[in-house]
Amino acid sequence: MPELLDVYQFTLVYVLLIVILAVMKKCKINQSKLVIVASLRMTFQLALAGAILTFIFERPHPLFTLAYLAVITGFSIHMILSKHKELNKTFKMIICVSLSVTGLAILAFYIVVVLGDNFFNPQLAIPLSGMIVGNAVSGVALGMKTFKESLSAKRHQIDTLINMGVTPQKTLLPLVNQAIETATLPTIITMTSMGIIKLPGMMTGQMLAGAMPITAILYQISIIIAIAAVTCLSVFCTLYFGYKTLWNERNQLLI
Amino acid sequence: MALFKLENVAFKGIIQYPNFEIKEKAATFITGESGVGKSTLLKLLNGVLTPTEGHVYWVEKKLTDVDSIVLRRKVLLVSQSAVLFDEHTIEENFKLFFDYRDQAAPSSEEMTHFLAMCSIVMPLDARVYELSGGEKQRVFVAIHLALGFDALLMDEPTSALDEKNGFAMLRNIKAYCKEQGKSLVIVSHDKEIVENFADDVIVLGGEA
Repeated sequence: MPELLDVYQFTLVYVLLIVILAVMKKCKINQSKLVIVASLRMTFQLALAGAILTFIFERPHPLFTLAYLAVITGFSIHMILSKHKELNKTFKMIICVSLSVTGLAILAFYIVVVLGDNFFNPQLAIPLSGMIVGNAVSGVALGMKTFKESLSAKRHQIDTLINMGVTPQKTLLPLVNQAIETATLPTIITMTSMGIIKLPGMMTGQMLAGAMPITAILYQISIIIAIAAVTCLSVFCTLYFGYKTLWNERNQLLI
Repeated sequence: MALFKLENVAFKGIIQYPNFEIKEKAATFITGESGVGKSTLLKLLNGVLTPTEGHVYWVEKKLTDVDSIVLRRKVLLVSQSAVLFDEHTIEENFKLFFDYRDQAAPSSEEMTHFLAMCSIVMPLDARVYELSGGEKQRVFVAIHLALGFDALLMDEPTSALDEKNGFAMLRNIKAYCKEQGKSLVIVSHDKEIVENFADDVIVLGGEA
């Protein structure tokens, strides 16, 4: 098993930043300040996260785990809603419920059923929730973006169909299906290249920490399937239930 | 019996309509300056919009009491800009719109008949992206005619057409509606068209 990373040796990695800065200077890319600020922010944020996680891991308590899950779920919901302020209240509520319920349900299934562990074990719940909820957020963000762009691009077609007496459901459903496909495909495509083009981050991390490759692979396969499932479910719930809030009882569009 | 009757209708505090009636089985033209609410009126008549004040009656029934989908299929609104599925043929466009309405597509003969009514004489397998703006507009109208209706609402139907094609299309549509006992409500700026085809004219927002 590799030895624990020495902090003084670790700081040497920052030398590589000089390489980035040198390339930028050579190519006259005026982003040197951004590289430095981004590196400092990353270091500070991860150090802070490390301190919090150390505190929680040393004092494992269901309340700490729950609080952490509540914070990341709340933050995820805020990220999505801040980009879609114009949505009606019911659609916003559907986003909140879809993200939190699908994220937590898949997390619980993975920890309790697949790994056979305690849901409140912070060493599992915290890192895995980040991966699962984080991917659910990316999926919902991509799905919502695609759906809104389609609504805008096909506005004339939508209005024409509604004028003709086509139900809003039949008019908008193809756009929903298209958005779900667009949001889900990247995860599925990632699966096809996995293990050939690159070794995934979680697997690499586990092997660096001393895990056997076969163990790392089993974890990786199971987490990727869990990620694909949460992405698909969260986007489906958000759009499938959300789009039904876009018309009233007179079948008039509210957008 | 009046086809439509407007009673103290206003929309969003911007447009206030006078009380008037639109006759059944007639060609009624709506005219008036831009911004007086002509296009909005058509949407209020086929229930895509609901007045914020007052009531619209359709053959003596309050529009709000009629099933909105049934209403829109009987009072069919042809919007000003033609919307077709560009990558498909004319025939496929008929089929796609009929499929959206869960209706069986018309036969090739019926399609050709309605296209001819709109002065379109070209093969059904012609790709829509190859058509000119005016041809697209007429194919779009032909699809609406084929869908069937009790009343046809048309918003500036000749705006993309030259005078000859515009006149020919309206002449045929009016004759078809008269023969079938259907009503026609047309928004138009074109005085010559109004003079030639109107049975009745409603001027919104002041003088004719």
